[in-house]
Amino acid sequence: MAVSLAVNGRKQTVEVDGDTPLLWVIRDEIGLKGTKFGCGMGLCGACTVHLNGQPVRSCSTPVEMAEGGDVTTIEGLSSNGGLHPLQQAWVEHGVPQCGYCQSGQIMSAAHLLQHNSAPSRDDIVAAVSGNLCRCGTYSRIVTAVESVVEKGTARYSREDA
Amino acid sequence: MSMNRRDFLKVTAGTSGGLVLSLSLPGCAGIPTGYDEHSGNWKPDAWLELTADDRIYFTLARVEMGQGTYTGLTTLIAEELGVPPASIQPRFAPAATEYRNPLYNLQLTGGSTSLATSWQPLRVAGASARIMLVSAAASVWEVSPDDCSVAGGRVLPPNGGDSLSYGRLVELAAKQPVPEDPALKPRKEWKYIGKNRGRLDAEAKSTGAPIYGIDVELEGMVYAVVTRPPRHGARVRTFDDSDVRKMPGVLDVFEIERGVAVVADKYWQARKAQNALTVEWDESEALSVSSEQVFSSYHKAADEDPGESERSQGDFDGAVGSAERVVEASYEQPYLAHATLEPMNATAWYRDGAIEVWAPTQAPDLGRIAAARVTDLSPDDVTIHTTFLGGGFGRRLTNDYIEEASAVAFRVRKPVKLIWSREEDTRHDLYRPAMLHRMKASVSGGQVTGWHHQIVGPQILDWYVRNAAPAQYPWAPKFLYDTLGRVGLMAEGIATPKDHSAIEGAIEYPYLVPNLDIRHTHTDPGVPVSWWRSVGFSHNGFAVETFMDELASELGQDPYQFRRSLIDHEPRHLEVLDRAARLARWGEPVPEGRARGIALFRSFGTYVAQVVEASVKAGEIRVHQVVCAVDCGQVVNPDIVRDQIEGGVIFGLTAALYGDITFKDGQVQQSNFHDYPLMRHDQRPEVVVEIVDSNQAPTGVGEPGVPPVIPALGNALFALTGQRQRRLPLKAQV
Repeated sequence: MAVSLAVNGRKQTVEVDGDTPLLWVIRDEIGLKGTKFGCGMGLCGACTVHLNGQPVRSCSTPVEMAEGGDVTTIEGLSSNGGLHPLQQAWVEHGVPQCGYCQSGQIMSAAHLLQHNSAPSRDDIVAAVSGNLCRCGTYSRIVTAVESVVEKGTARYSREDA
Repeated sequence: MSMNRRDFLKVTAGTSGGLVLSLSLPGCAGIPTGYDEHSGNWKPDAWLELTADDRIYFTLARVEMGQGTYTGLTTLIAEELGVPPASIQPRFAPAATEYRNPLYNLQLTGGSTSLATSWQPLRVAGASARIMLVSAAASVWEVSPDDCSVAGGRVLPPNGGDSLSYGRLVELAAKQPVPEDPALKPRKEWKYIGKNRGRLDAEAKSTGAPIYGIDVELEGMVYAVVTRPPRHGARVRTFDDSDVRKMPGVLDVFEIERGVAVVADKYWQARKAQNALTVEWDESEALSVSSEQVFSSYHKAADEDPGESERSQGDFDGAVGSAERVVEASYEQPYLAHATLEPMNATAWYRDGAIEVWAPTQAPDLGRIAAARVTDLSPDDVTIHTTFLGGGFGRRLTNDYIEEASAVAFRVRKPVKLIWSREEDTRHDLYRPAMLHRMKASVSGGQVTGWHHQIVGPQILDWYVRNAAPAQYPWAPKFLYDTLGRVGLMAEGIATPKDHSAIEGAIEYPYLVPNLDIRHTHTDPGVPVSWWRSVGFSHNGFAVETFMDELASELGQDPYQFRRSLIDHEPRHLEVLDRAARLARWGEPVPEGRARGIALFRSFGTYVAQVVEASVKAGEIRVHQVVCAVDCGQVVNPDIVRDQIEGGVIFGLTAALYGDITFKDGQVQQSNFHDYPLMRHDQRPEVVVEIVDSNQAPTGVGEPGVPPVIPALGNALFALTGQRQRRLPLKAQV
């Protein structure tokens, strides 16, 4: 079936089976590889994207449910083509090890900051607890998010524009 | 053969186990210098390429799987070359003999060896190139090289005249004599080693750049999935693909050695079609064990066979005979999966009699063997492109996924990407072996007089040698592969290194006990096993450091002071033990409902002591804090050391609290993160890492954080509850 959706502000129509997970549409039809496949059951969070402003697990979201929707991926997070403040903080704090989970971590954290510009540490931990990291980068993730909160630059996503 | 290969630095094993470099003589007419007149680029050695337009490429012979080689090894060459690490562009090495790991004679990344084995050769390579660039500039200016200096990729003349960029000097530098024994920068002049922070790959990994194996995209690419037998060792008897072939997008269905492949235009089409496939398996040689049988077979083996002596000192039996007391315990540890977050995958393309493979692999030269084995090709016809790895932890030392992708590509003759599901990744892993440890100690006069440790379980090389032995002899014809595998095993300790995978960490027992008897009873239940982050240290660490805790308790001694009294002959052990205890305020009151446990363990040459603070609340173990003191010799990147130790702690705690792969009638019972959980953000403890300032040669940090945290947590739970847990994973209630 033909499914239309906007990805990072660009309207797209793809020809796929309606039950195809949004993840594989983003990766293989639209060609954005930053959203990762980890478990296929919504358990690890590596595939997290924003659908109509809400974080969703794209590996277990059939694309037909995203029909007409507005999808933001890690590639479209920044509002100005540069690095989003969270991405900047990830670089400054050297967060990634293998890096595979980090798109999902950042997307979860970005959603938090869009709705809460002054989250507590507990808020941050709660927001990213569905995102597994096998390398154990958890403490740097929290530190990086806190640094963005302190700078007050939390709201810089394309979705805020 | 390209002319440039002749003047690559030739790497040969040195007497100290490190590397020595022998250089060909460049500079004379007719002898290649590594300078390419067409491109204007200079390759002074196997690692560096400097271009006329001032780019510097560094060939990274150790893969990047999160452990930091991309940054750490680049820092070494940058330091001596005199340029900022970020100005160097690393690229992953192809499979080639000059990139082999000298400790294994294979091009593999594992054993926390990358920095230790690169420390000398990479600095020498950087220094040689710098000296040649300086000589080139000095000859232009007609001054002494000693009066020139370098900064930011330029050579500076004496008296502040105009500088010359490296790029402008490459042609001339290539003709300079290669320094025989280049002097390395003294420690006090280091700008980057020990000071550099952050990671060179952080931006790519924070912006979703397509850098992993699973991200490879080729024109006209199709997708494959493979249905594998539910029990290891089963083979396809027949399969019915009539419904599969009717499914949309399906291109082909066929048998390969490891199962039945379904190939389709899109990944999801292949996955859906796979559900319509019915396979009848020949299970005559299939695994049929259950986990309880594994352990009962281990106990039986332990009773019947005292095992091979791996270390003996004094007279243990005599010590037992005259002992006032004998303390005994046995420990059981389960199979563990690697659970890299990027599932196994590979992309392969067969055309024109050769195959190219793009894969996240820890062992590219073994990947060539894997691809050759299942096609008509020889290893020379196989090119492996190594990508970034979404986690390795030892799993990607085995290239079964390259084997599958190659077999499929050889038949479909199009670029094919094979992706494993998480369920397949969990059920078709090669596991950290389940192990049994029988411990016995003799005690007299308040002292431990004897220590006996019987390790019971398989050896990993038995499983690994199949592709590793042929990879060491790439000229061998394929019909010899199986023979080489068997010879490799028989030649263990002679032509191939002795397999320490079962005994490492046990035979190095460091405490001052006069009579030692350490043995390995070799028994293999047939479950596929492999290296898993910290390997034998992961289970021996638990056995040694838990039994030490039991002995302290038997003797009525404080666990820290007990260890301390038996280790004061080993200053580096003692230093980390004291530091961890001090930092964790050992001996001071613990918050209500919590307790502390301690462990001290050296692995991969690195010394780690850890103190865990834990509690049990609402039926759950809660780890509040882990304090680590680490001595890994000279630190190259303090951030990465800290991260690796902290990551090791999380990895070890995940195993201690949740890790349990179980078998029932030969089938793995776990499948995904709901039944094989990983530690989450909200479960993580605060981790404090203190690094000992040292100018000893650097040792690895990727693995040593793992082993001590498992016994340290068990010891904390004992302190909390008074009950000793001797089987992993640990439980809130026993």
